[in-house]
Amino acid sequence: MVTVLLMILGFFAGVLGALTGIGGGVLLTPVLALYFGISIRQAIGASLVAVITTSTASSFVNLQRHTTDIRLGMTLELATAFGAGVTAYLVGYFNRNALEGLFAAFLLYSGITILSKRGKVKPLEDESALIVDQTAVPPYEVQRYPLGLAASLVAGALSGLLGIGGGPIKVPVMYIFMNVPLMVATATSNFMIGVTAAASAIVYYRRGDILVDYAAPLAVGVFLGSLLGARLAPRVHSKVVVYLLVGVMFYLAGHLIFHLLRGWL
Amino acid sequence: MSQVREPAFDRAVAWVLGTGAVACFLIMLAGLLAGLFVSGPVSLRIERVGVLLMLATPVVRVVVACFLFFREKDWKYGWISLGVLVILMLGSVFGIGEH
Repeated sequence: MVTVLLMILGFFAGVLGALTGIGGGVLLTPVLALYFGISIRQAIGASLVAVITTSTASSFVNLQRHTTDIRLGMTLELATAFGAGVTAYLVGYFNRNALEGLFAAFLLYSGITILSKRGKVKPLEDESALIVDQTAVPPYEVQRYPLGLAASLVAGALSGLLGIGGGPIKVPVMYIFMNVPLMVATATSNFMIGVTAAASAIVYYRRGDILVDYAAPLAVGVFLGSLLGARLAPRVHSKVVVYLLVGVMFYLAGHLIFHLLRGWL
Repeated sequence: MSQVREPAFDRAVAWVLGTGAVACFLIMLAGLLAGLFVSGPVSLRIERVGVLLMLATPVVRVVVACFLFFREKDWKYGWISLGVLVILMLGSVFGIGEH
């Protein structure tokens, strides 16, 4: 029964992730920790497996469109993988309250950021995704590698700490500061997430924080969900979905905080 | 200058990711189905293979890219890929713990 629920959860996270560009990991970790009776560390572990699944499947599509800058991705992965590995290791010494508090703060921060942008999560992606097949990627020269590496280190560290992909950090940095076209930045960020999440997932697995009977149904659901989401994306008004997602994020943050307070009182 | 358009390189890496994703999906699904019909630890073992293969797919992707860079005599990116691989390997050494 739990297996079926996990598949359904993964499925919805996959659909939402593909529709909005907000990775499913943000939702999976708190839902698993709050409602499935596993520790937040095990929830992050399961979420990491799901994140690798989505990244792998969607990078496959992006690579066939030739929008991924493998060299840039590989260079920044030096920083993301290092950051992810280090925090994944440190998480072993964090207590669960600290992790739940961090996650609640992260959910609130992300929700408020999305609201302040009025729900525009991916500004130009919709249009560029449609014309990718016909248009050549414009020539560009990557600039400011040190800044990109620093931002990637932060994105990787957050990934290892919270089981998320870190796209919202990497994409704007590549696009705004490194002179990378948006569709290349998006594809490359997605491409990097697999290796970043793997760097922390390996540490989680060795520590025993990846429960296979939770991770497998979740990953199966996410895989199917992101396939459907990618097909629905052009037809769905994504802004409504984004607001719905923000609502869920605030609810989960509230529940996490309530959970924390109840432990202290 | 970064070069995005290298169709053969992209295809090789895409092949690794596509094969990995589909294989893992099928193996995990088989594990879940086995849980319905077979008792005992069989389904968990199959699921474990699927999950481990999922974790290995990005690592294999780095290995393949590393190999292709060195074959193209693109030393800089060959060494960068090797660096990423070393970081991934370190994770499996330092991950051992009893916490």
